[in-house]
Amino acid sequence: MAAPGRVLAPAAAPRARTGLTQALGPDWQLAIPLVLPILCVMLGLIAFPFLSSIWYSLNDIRVGGAGKFVGLANYQSLISGALADRFWNSVQVSVVYTGGALLLKFVIGMTTALILHQHLVARNWWRALVFIPWSIPSVVSAYTWKWMYDDVHGVINLKLMSWGVIHYPILFLADINIALWAVMGAVVWRGFPFWTMTFLAGMQSIPADMYDAAHIDGAGAVKSFFYITLPNLASVIVVTTMLSGIWTANEVQYVYLLTRGGPANATETFPMLALTLGVSNFDLGMGATVPLLMFPVFAVAIWFLTRRMLSSEGGAR
Amino acid sequence: MRWLARRNHGWMVLGYVLMTVFTLWAVIPFYWMLMTSFKPESHILDPDPSILPTSFTLANYVRAFVTVGYPLFLRNSTVVAVAVTLASIVIGSMAAYAISRLRFSGRRVLARMLVYSYLAPGSVLFIPLFAMMVYLHLNNNLFGLMLAYLTFTVPFCTWMLIGYFRTVPFELEEAALVDGATKWTVLWRIIVPLSAPAMVVVAIFSFTLSWNEFLYALVLVQRKDLMTAPVGINSFMVSDQTFWGAMMAASTIMSLPPLLLYLLGQRWVVAGWTAGSVKA
Repeated sequence: MAAPGRVLAPAAAPRARTGLTQALGPDWQLAIPLVLPILCVMLGLIAFPFLSSIWYSLNDIRVGGAGKFVGLANYQSLISGALADRFWNSVQVSVVYTGGALLLKFVIGMTTALILHQHLVARNWWRALVFIPWSIPSVVSAYTWKWMYDDVHGVINLKLMSWGVIHYPILFLADINIALWAVMGAVVWRGFPFWTMTFLAGMQSIPADMYDAAHIDGAGAVKSFFYITLPNLASVIVVTTMLSGIWTANEVQYVYLLTRGGPANATETFPMLALTLGVSNFDLGMGATVPLLMFPVFAVAIWFLTRRMLSSEGGAR
Repeated sequence: MRWLARRNHGWMVLGYVLMTVFTLWAVIPFYWMLMTSFKPESHILDPDPSILPTSFTLANYVRAFVTVGYPLFLRNSTVVAVAVTLASIVIGSMAAYAISRLRFSGRRVLARMLVYSYLAPGSVLFIPLFAMMVYLHLNNNLFGLMLAYLTFTVPFCTWMLIGYFRTVPFELEEAALVDGATKWTVLWRIIVPLSAPAMVVVAIFSFTLSWNEFLYALVLVQRKDLMTAPVGINSFMVSDQTFWGAMMAASTIMSLPPLLLYLLGQRWVVAGWTAGSVKA
């Protein structure tokens, strides 16, 4: 918050006496029109829907119909009532899906960043190629993976069969035990370059003489990694994990496009469940309740990230 | 300087091997999408497809354009993405200037609300936004979709621009203020021109985010003539038959605008991206 504390030029001074100015700050007359549009967006399109979502969750309400107040019945139904099996299944699927995706993105992102940080031959080319997945739209990656996973004409099955690795096609998106991992594969593929990039940027800001000193002290590559690289990247890792965790857990496109939550709900994450209940079945009350039940988990991450972002005085740079 | 390579060639070999594996993995789906889009139908359904190109046809692109109304989807996507981008830059730069430069009460609260909005998960918002748009008769309406997109582009743009405005030296404004310029003049004559590179980055990101968006587009628009490209591509899947060639052609076309924008704005985009504040 450095800049506004500066001494302002005399030009701004004459207005600085009235009561309103004292209450609202010296620049309030200019500030109001400037922040009005964003206030409309934040209050009308984010805060209001969020609050109305809480209201819906307390009602038995269909799209376009009048609601009937039912108290916590929707919550009860999801936690221990008629929909409990399906809800808890979606929680479990979401945890495996998000946790697995974060872990894989971390490992692949860290490995590629470590390698790209070296003096590779044609480093820029490697880097450009690794970033291809990130540069294409995520829906495109979902459609492409769906095509490659196809059990009749998909290239993965056909090649594995022609090489004699398997004799029957693997039902990547229809086998209860495989589908979630197949979806995760597409998610990790699209998402890991973001991690590579942030880790690489973090590594580039570690002073080289730390490594030189460690080298003189006889530390090898592994020791340098655990005692210098990892600790110096700690905050980057925490922030990236939280951001990516919020986004991965809450996105629905991969599951929707690849499996629609099937087979037998094996890939039904909680946003997919909310989409099915709230939009496909027109049950707004239930649809609103599912994400709200999960919200406390994300609220913790959001609270933590907000504190960080505000204390670093505004994100970029 | 780099610790892996210092003396140990074993590490370096391992590095190249792993990098080759990951790079192949990163490139192959993209390659296969392109390959499929240029293959004739008979080759697409080949039981043992050749990895290397053996034939070339534009039939899938023709089919993509004439069968399911894909040009219309692209038009809708463009209209929405361009309008959302312009609106977010205007709203975002105004708010960012106020938050980073002006003194008024409620500034800190506003900054905090902004971060909350930026991090708000879409899964909580899509149901009430859907209900709200139905109530306002803005579902099946591109304007309604634009409003929904502002929920993620505006907080993002504002946050990026605040970060950038803080790097613009205050002395420039001070000089102008001493010369009698108003703060409006300072905003439009000094801050905005100086922030052009940041505006380019923010524009690229908000265009791409809107262009790629799937969930709101799926929920808020059911009418086929108003669908955007990400949802519209699903039309190549008809019950249990999928026109893979046309679908991959459509996917390739849809990937081009963001790809071209990144190539054009690469220099600035990388700097903005490493700020770690971009949706993955």
